[in-house]
Amino acid sequence: MSKTTAYFAPPAESAKKSEFSSFVDVLRRCAAEQPDDPAYIFLPDRGGQRLSLTFAELYARAEAVAMRLAEQAKIGDRAVLLFGPGLDFIVAFFACLLAGVIAVPMMVPRRVSSSDASAAVLADCVPRFAMTRRDLLTITRPDLTERFQTNRLDWVFVDTCAVGSVERQNPLPLAGRDDIAFLQYTSGSTSTPKGVVVKHGNLIENSEMIRITFGNTRRSTHVSWVPLYHDMGLILNALQSLYVGALCVIMTPVGFMQRPLSWLRAIHDYRAEVAGGPNFSFDLCVRRHRSEELQGIDLSCWKVAVNGAEHVRANTIERFASTFAPYGFDAKTILPAYGMAEATLLISANRRGTGANTRKVDRDALQRNQIVASAPEQDPLVLVGCGRQLSGERLAIVDPETRTPLGPALVGEVWVAGPHIAAGYWRNAEATSSVFRARMVSGGGQCWLRTGDLGFLDEDGELYIAGRIKDLIIIRGINHYPQDIEETVQNCHAALRRHCGAVFSVPDQEDEEQLVVVQEVERSFRRGIATDEIAATIREAIAREHELATREVVLIRTGSLPKTTSGKVQRQLTRQMFLTGALLPV
Amino acid sequence: MRAEIPSEAAIRDWCAEYLARALDLPAHTIDVATTFARMGLDSANSVFLIVELEDWLGLELTPDLLFEHPTICELAHHLAERASR
Repeated sequence: MSKTTAYFAPPAESAKKSEFSSFVDVLRRCAAEQPDDPAYIFLPDRGGQRLSLTFAELYARAEAVAMRLAEQAKIGDRAVLLFGPGLDFIVAFFACLLAGVIAVPMMVPRRVSSSDASAAVLADCVPRFAMTRRDLLTITRPDLTERFQTNRLDWVFVDTCAVGSVERQNPLPLAGRDDIAFLQYTSGSTSTPKGVVVKHGNLIENSEMIRITFGNTRRSTHVSWVPLYHDMGLILNALQSLYVGALCVIMTPVGFMQRPLSWLRAIHDYRAEVAGGPNFSFDLCVRRHRSEELQGIDLSCWKVAVNGAEHVRANTIERFASTFAPYGFDAKTILPAYGMAEATLLISANRRGTGANTRKVDRDALQRNQIVASAPEQDPLVLVGCGRQLSGERLAIVDPETRTPLGPALVGEVWVAGPHIAAGYWRNAEATSSVFRARMVSGGGQCWLRTGDLGFLDEDGELYIAGRIKDLIIIRGINHYPQDIEETVQNCHAALRRHCGAVFSVPDQEDEEQLVVVQEVERSFRRGIATDEIAATIREAIAREHELATREVVLIRTGSLPKTTSGKVQRQLTRQMFLTGALLPV
Repeated sequence: MRAEIPSEAAIRDWCAEYLARALDLPAHTIDVATTFARMGLDSANSVFLIVELEDWLGLELTPDLLFEHPTICELAHHLAERASR
């Protein structure tokens, strides 16, 4: 044992070794043991038809689609999953697992965007199949056929694979823990996406960790509006419910945005125990709260309100708890969580019933990477704890420069190890080695995942996230890479200098992250340029390509953007200069 | 039942004010003939605008409306017509 061990959070009790060897086993067990129990219910927006699948129906439909895939597929072929809201995504996902095909969940690319992530993802994973519904391709989005025009890509319509229509010729392959279940493309920039390789073993292990942490059972009905191509929607909701044999009620993301209270109503209607989302979803419920729309609502059934996927705010939790307390909502239900696709999903969270812990820290000390309780007369920074390490996992806080572990109350990079850490990035040995194979200076052979996030562990082993090493921007639970947005900006108008812009986010008065663009103007354009006109062009391009509203555009003088001596844009420094008014606008 | 149906001009002014606030833009930069896209309206803000309009006008609306009527002017014209039906 090295001396450094003492600095790690105390090891939690080891996870019960799961009896499953693949997620296919989980589905088979549900179909065998509780065939007629409802597995999924889909609640459409106004006027649509409510859909449902029992475990046996899900298995039968997934098997029928798997047979169709198996006619042409080799084990390890990739299939991209392109679905609007509904239950077909889940059928397609399990069909892939059954057929030994690697599922690649994708957002349906928006019609208006010219360059989105989909082309680069296709080039990276080289799919053999694209799975969707026939009406999506032929009626709603015929443009997709051209977009997905690549070599040897076959379309598979899951709604046309009738159960029992295909002769079972060859038995479907048996997946094991070391086989790849799916690729999660939430990392890397638009131009160079990185697909996290999630194996069946990773998925089983993280599902078991989630089950233990949240205390889920067959009775733990989930209600989720988070899209299924988002790892939180998929793993924390749709797959966790199946893992414990519970029902998952699925709503549409647009329906939630439009009528967030319908989420609360569904939790009441279905007596759900588990429902969560990114921080903004709790704010949205408070903002749209109308007592007349919540007559008779009883939220006392709600036991696990996971708040994750973006920065967790203390005042969001307070406001939500006090607004909905009259409806039986218990503040201890809110469980802040931390995770990322590289760890399959969940990295830390508190146990069911624990609630959220907060700490008031000194802002100046935090700038020096130290945690000091704030003096009473100061304006403190309130940080929300993201829970402790999970069963079977190790968390460490590490100085990213020296790769030495840091003691409590010191801020460093969060490193994670455990059986849920994904195998790496799809066909990207370099990034896999630097992110997934980190080693401490005296840590022996132990490999760690570098999260790129800064945080500290308190004396009880609770993890607090305090910042980020990477310049990633997270708005409404979606990751945006600044270099992608900067490229969009610099492509949209000739007056804007290449590689001379910085985008970042700043919290607004309601503590929600807002996008700011700082961009140099070419010297030759400096005289008499229409700044309002250029700013509008920038806003339009960013909304079109990235689905983001821009809070502020600052056009600055040629050569005034802070850069390192090697010419790298200093986004954090630019952000500081923006906040202190030190930029030089044209 | 609504006592008074807002006029097209009232809807136009309301939208301009709402968007200036939501996008944190100076009110004078909101041009009612500019497309929502040009103002940098993203899908989340589109949904919020629609929801507020639904509340105010007592109509059932969908976010697609902002594609079909892509400026404040056109939207106000359409909504005033529907509200008076």
